[in-house]
Amino acid sequence: MSTFQGYVVRGLPLAQAEEETGTTEPGAEEHNPILPETDELLWGSIAFFIVFAAIAFWAWPRIRKLLAERTEKIQGELEKAESTRHEADRILEEYREQIARARDEAGRIIEEARRTAEQLRKDLQARAEQEAQSTVARAQEEIRAERDRVVQELRAQVGALSIQLAERVVGASLDQKRHQELIDEYIEELAGSGSGGGS
Amino acid sequence: MSAVLALLGSSRPPEGFEKPTAEIFDTACLIGSGDFCFNRIALYMFVAAAIVVALFVLAFARPRLVPRGIQNLMESGVEFVRNQIAVEVIGHDGIRFVPLLLSLFFFIFAANILGIVPFFQLPATSRMAIPAFLAVVVWLVFNAVGIQHHGLRYFKNVLFPPGVPKALYILLTPIELVSVFLVRPLTLSVRLLGNMFAGHMLLTIFFLGTAYLLAQWKTVAFGVAAFGLGVGLVGFEILVAVLQAYIFTILTAVYIGGALHPEH
Repeated sequence: MSTFQGYVVRGLPLAQAEEETGTTEPGAEEHNPILPETDELLWGSIAFFIVFAAIAFWAWPRIRKLLAERTEKIQGELEKAESTRHEADRILEEYREQIARARDEAGRIIEEARRTAEQLRKDLQARAEQEAQSTVARAQEEIRAERDRVVQELRAQVGALSIQLAERVVGASLDQKRHQELIDEYIEELAGSGSGGGS
Repeated sequence: MSAVLALLGSSRPPEGFEKPTAEIFDTACLIGSGDFCFNRIALYMFVAAAIVVALFVLAFARPRLVPRGIQNLMESGVEFVRNQIAVEVIGHDGIRFVPLLLSLFFFIFAANILGIVPFFQLPATSRMAIPAFLAVVVWLVFNAVGIQHHGLRYFKNVLFPPGVPKALYILLTPIELVSVFLVRPLTLSVRLLGNMFAGHMLLTIFFLGTAYLLAQWKTVAFGVAAFGLGVGLVGFEILVAVLQAYIFTILTAVYIGGALHPEH
């Protein structure tokens, strides 16, 4: 309604003007602008029906189809994007898992290598120790054997020498068995007094 | 300064100024004469119709799924009418009225905008024919929709709105009777006519005034000012052209919606 009032207010000078022209120009056929002319109504209705027919029977069905197609396409694209995203997520998860597995595997391998190395080191050390020990033992054994042999030899020689000596000194020769007994006795004595009973 | 005030204050045009009257809307017959007359307004009605049809054909003859250029423009217009007017006001069952609403919006807009298009410069809606005819169409449509959906209960719904104390019907029923069946078409048509009529009259006065004021040295400054204001008014008329098309269309939707869903 406000627009209507606005029209009235704005139209005021016009109304005055009309009054004036009405008085100054008699005979001019007054046309009230608020009443439609019949012929203009006819043309206007034809023009509007042209527009309405074009839109209702041609444009609107096309627009509907177009919008439906677009909706369908966008929906399809969205669904595709969604499934692609899911796929990507799945693959990413898979890769992550693989990487985690690989990392575990690497850790395991390193750990194993470390353990193997440790084991190897220990083995080597043990073997080296053992070898050293056995070498030492062998050497000791050899030394002992050598010493025993030397002692034995020495004992024999000393015996023989002693006997020779004694024979020469005493001039009397004793039988072999008696000799040996004497010699042993003598050596025992020597050993007992010499080394303080060590070996 | 006082001269300006005197000039603005006087309701009487200055000496020698030929004031425009309502006769500027009475155009001569191009074809025929008397009661069967095809005048400038009639020509412009068909020009407006041709513009609308051409726009739709250009936009949707070979529509692309990804719109470009004019299709983009027309699609935003169509979607505006569909979403902001039909669906928003009537509801989802308003979609079937979109062709009518589209026709109303674009035809009225094209008829309005001719008022500021160079060499046309007369809105086809500044004569009562189009507003009156369209108002009658809208009146017929919303009443037909009401009867189609509610039968004779439509009139009961309109005249005796539900949810109102019975005593109020004494007051309400005559008001509803007059407002729905008489005032609605009248306001619809007169609002459109009045705006376009007044707008065209304003533009005419400003540009005739510019020419008159520029002709004399002592009023050249006023002439320049009048021209500037006139240019501003052209911009304003563009706004009015859109706005009036929009108002006419949305009120149509409101009336149809009211006939469809009386409970609102």
